[in-house]
Amino acid sequence: MSSPAHGPSTDDAEPHAFFQHHYNTVGQQAAAAKLGMWVFLATEILMFSGLFLAYFIVRMFYPEMVLGSGELLDKTWGGVNTVVLLTSSYTMAMAVRSAQVGDQKKLVMNLILTIGFAFCFMVVKYIEYSGKFSHGIFPGKYFDYERAAAYMIEHGHEPVMGLPHIFFGLYFCMTGLHGVHVLVGIGVLFWILIRARKGQFGPKYFTPVENVGLYWHLVDLVWIFLFPLLYLVK
Amino acid sequence: MAHTYLHGKPVEGVIEVHEHVSPASSYIKVLSALFVLTGLTYAVSFANLGAASLPVAMTVALVKATLVCMYFMHLRYDDRYHVFVFLSTIIFVAIFFTFTMFDLTSRPRLNEEQDTFFRVDQGGDWNDAQRAKNIDKYPGPEVKGVPHASAEGKADAKADAKAGADAKAGAPAKAP
Repeated sequence: MSSPAHGPSTDDAEPHAFFQHHYNTVGQQAAAAKLGMWVFLATEILMFSGLFLAYFIVRMFYPEMVLGSGELLDKTWGGVNTVVLLTSSYTMAMAVRSAQVGDQKKLVMNLILTIGFAFCFMVVKYIEYSGKFSHGIFPGKYFDYERAAAYMIEHGHEPVMGLPHIFFGLYFCMTGLHGVHVLVGIGVLFWILIRARKGQFGPKYFTPVENVGLYWHLVDLVWIFLFPLLYLVK
Repeated sequence: MAHTYLHGKPVEGVIEVHEHVSPASSYIKVLSALFVLTGLTYAVSFANLGAASLPVAMTVALVKATLVCMYFMHLRYDDRYHVFVFLSTIIFVAIFFTFTMFDLTSRPRLNEEQDTFFRVDQGGDWNDAQRAKNIDKYPGPEVKGVPHASAEGKADAKADAKAGADAKAGAPAKAP
């Protein structure tokens, strides 16, 4: 069964320090944890799908308003954040790989890089949000029509007719919920980093690293769809 | 070989999940592909594709998502059951989207058949208040009983009013 491309098999492995007594084998414990993580990711996808559907409905009913409002978002900052998040996904994948092959130094380094990119993402988010807020672009009923329209004219856009505050309500909800996920990701990455520095992970036991990695890739996945829908599509 | 149990009884010949370790170069390749695809969507967004822009952007996003799932999330080498969990989620999302859209797009016809009508609530609506404040600058959709905007830009206002009325009645506006 095992080929050179496969890592150490876990079915006949010696129990590691984190082996829990109610599992029969180390492999069973790892498989249970990972299945649980996938089920959690499923609920995450379903939660975000509601917001995506709301976007598509608003877009279907008010196409011009959505496209006009989308023009106000900064494509370049959005693109920078996409590159940052994709790179962080790569460093996370490399962190998991380093744990799998037992490279302690690279594991810690990749985790630190991932956390760094996550902070970069939040800094860009802060720049974008504060830029919007300073021009009266707030979600929902806090939207300041007069200041927003002045800003649109100043930037050579036609003032968006209809209900731009609905679009920005969606924008702030979708990117905000995603941003909260990035913050939570930073939290769990720190937890993994501390454990990694204690030398708790290695080829025999890396399930937490792998599961945090799965979560982080999901955050990346959501952004892969958010970015074109909100910033790019005309 | 450690003993393996199923429902409390020892079983023979069980093969457990073997973790796959991908070579580091494969991750670099996936990352480069993701960058290229991001650049592609970014570039395409400046070429006005009109109605095609949404399908194009979504196709590129789907390809990117597939790459992330298969290689970064290891679904390609993973237990098939995880693929099943993931894909069944997607199926439920598709059901959610399809049925909601189905309802929203077919509702005007249903309303017509059942002779349902909607009254526009004019009491203290935030939009109306905003419109009243900026009525000269932004004549919004015409609402029955509410004095409407100035004569200039009437053509615009008319088109807007039509779209607005359609939307209020629940009719789908045409996709861009």
